Amino acid sequence: MTAGGRERVVLPTGLRERVLEASRQARAAGHCAPEIMAISPAEAFSRAADALFGLLCALSEENWRMPALRGLDVQGLVGHLIGVEEDVHRCLSGDPGVAKANHIESTQSAAARQAGRPAARTRADWRRAAGRTLDLVHGFGDPCAEVAVHGMRLPLDALLVVRVFELWTHDNDIRRAVGLPASVPDAPALRLMTGLAARLLPHAAARTGLHEPVNVHLVLTGPGGGTWDVAIGERPPDPVSIRIIADAAGFCRLAANRVTPADLDLHVTGDPGRAAGVLAAASALALD
Amino acid sequence: MSAALDQVRLDGPVTDQTALKRCAVAGGRVSVQGVGGTDALLAARLEAGDDHAVAEVFDRLAPAVYGAALRVLGNGAAAQDVAQDVFVELWSHPGRYDPAAGTLRTYLIVLARHRAVDLVRSELRRIARQERHDRLTPGQRHPSPCEEVTAAQAASVVRAAVRLLPDGQRRVVELAYFGGLTCREAALAAGIPEGTAKSRLRLALAKLETLLDRQLLESS
Repeated sequence: MTAGGRERVVLPTGLRERVLEASRQARAAGHCAPEIMAISPAEAFSRAADALFGLLCALSEENWRMPALRGLDVQGLVGHLIGVEEDVHRCLSGDPGVAKANHIESTQSAAARQAGRPAARTRADWRRAAGRTLDLVHGFGDPCAEVAVHGMRLPLDALLVVRVFELWTHDNDIRRAVGLPASVPDAPALRLMTGLAARLLPHAAARTGLHEPVNVHLVLTGPGGGTWDVAIGERPPDPVSIRIIADAAGFCRLAANRVTPADLDLHVTGDPGRAAGVLAAASALALD
Repeated sequence: MSAALDQVRLDGPVTDQTALKRCAVAGGRVSVQGVGGTDALLAARLEAGDDHAVAEVFDRLAPAVYGAALRVLGNGAAAQDVAQDVFVELWSHPGRYDPAAGTLRTYLIVLARHRAVDLVRSELRRIARQERHDRLTPGQRHPSPCEEVTAAQAASVVRAAVRLLPDGQRRVVELAYFGGLTCREAALAAGIPEGTAKSRLRLALAKLETLLDRQLLESS
């Protein structure tokens, strides 16, 4: 008997392996439980567009003049989004001219065009542009076909998730500008976003000069979260392993470069320097 | 985001088992303070499909879970089955654990005890069915040593619960179930009307269900 009066229990040999194997059989690792209903990237884009339109409808004339981002007021930021949609239209129509266009520079004229216009016109223009994007997507055919726009070459479905990221990010830029609370995408949309951010981590790491090999066990908690094992850098026989646990929506804000790692409730196992590098790489995913 | 997605590599689980630490990152630098993984964080990780989390929970709580089942069942093989059920249940339905309602340790131990009690009940029902069958069929079958041990354990648990019944109810249960009397014979033996004997039996059986739970839970 132990000091606490309880008998010391010796676990039978093999019980651990048996339990873990049975667990793996019962539910595959990686996916959140309960399972969320999967939606298509086009549906996620449609929902994000609806959410942003709802927000724009709720803004006062004064709100449209509030400074929002990069010297743009809310109306200018919506103009930027109109410009992005127009470039996506060109991309989906097969125009190679937008493949390497800069995300900001290419849309500056569209942003500037909105200055002084009635807010309702800007709002209607943006709505029309987002609707046109969806029409083109539905008529495009293969959602896995690669497309190229703003320096990205990626499958159409992935591009749509990038667009969901951007709409949500600027939705929150506008909310912050006018003093409204932040929004979080619904779980199915967030799941697409977290999945894309996790898959793109190696590319982001390469872009930020993180070449040392590291295995990242990334756990994103909450609705829309999941677990990923991501290999970064070139693979030696025994790469360093780190584990990063963060809230799913928080990690997406990090990937959108709207918060710093210090703003997140992060739990890290392993080399903190490597973890900092990976988190910095996640921030570099943002287009802005 | 300029590279093609087909270059993305997704590999199998890593084997890092070092202590969970909390990390604050500022200006690209990370400071790490050692902290224990809270139950809420473990629950969130399980919900997120983090298979490392279920291994960590096992390493931390398996002795308590297995021990709880073993104390009820007294049978190592059955207790292993219960322990497996408990951890698979946690992994399959992590949302059923509410960190606000109590610790993960308590939740898993209670789950183990409930599963063990269910197993005892199921065994009792099986024994009762077997006895009925044996009475109705010619030629007696001798139970195996394993069946005898299991039956003795189950009987001990039930007798302990019966002892907690009020006197009147306990007497009728003992006459009817342990003495093998019919309801009318039990009523005569106890010196009470048959209707009273029946209602006491009904009340006793309902109470036994509750008492069995409580007794088996308190036993560990």
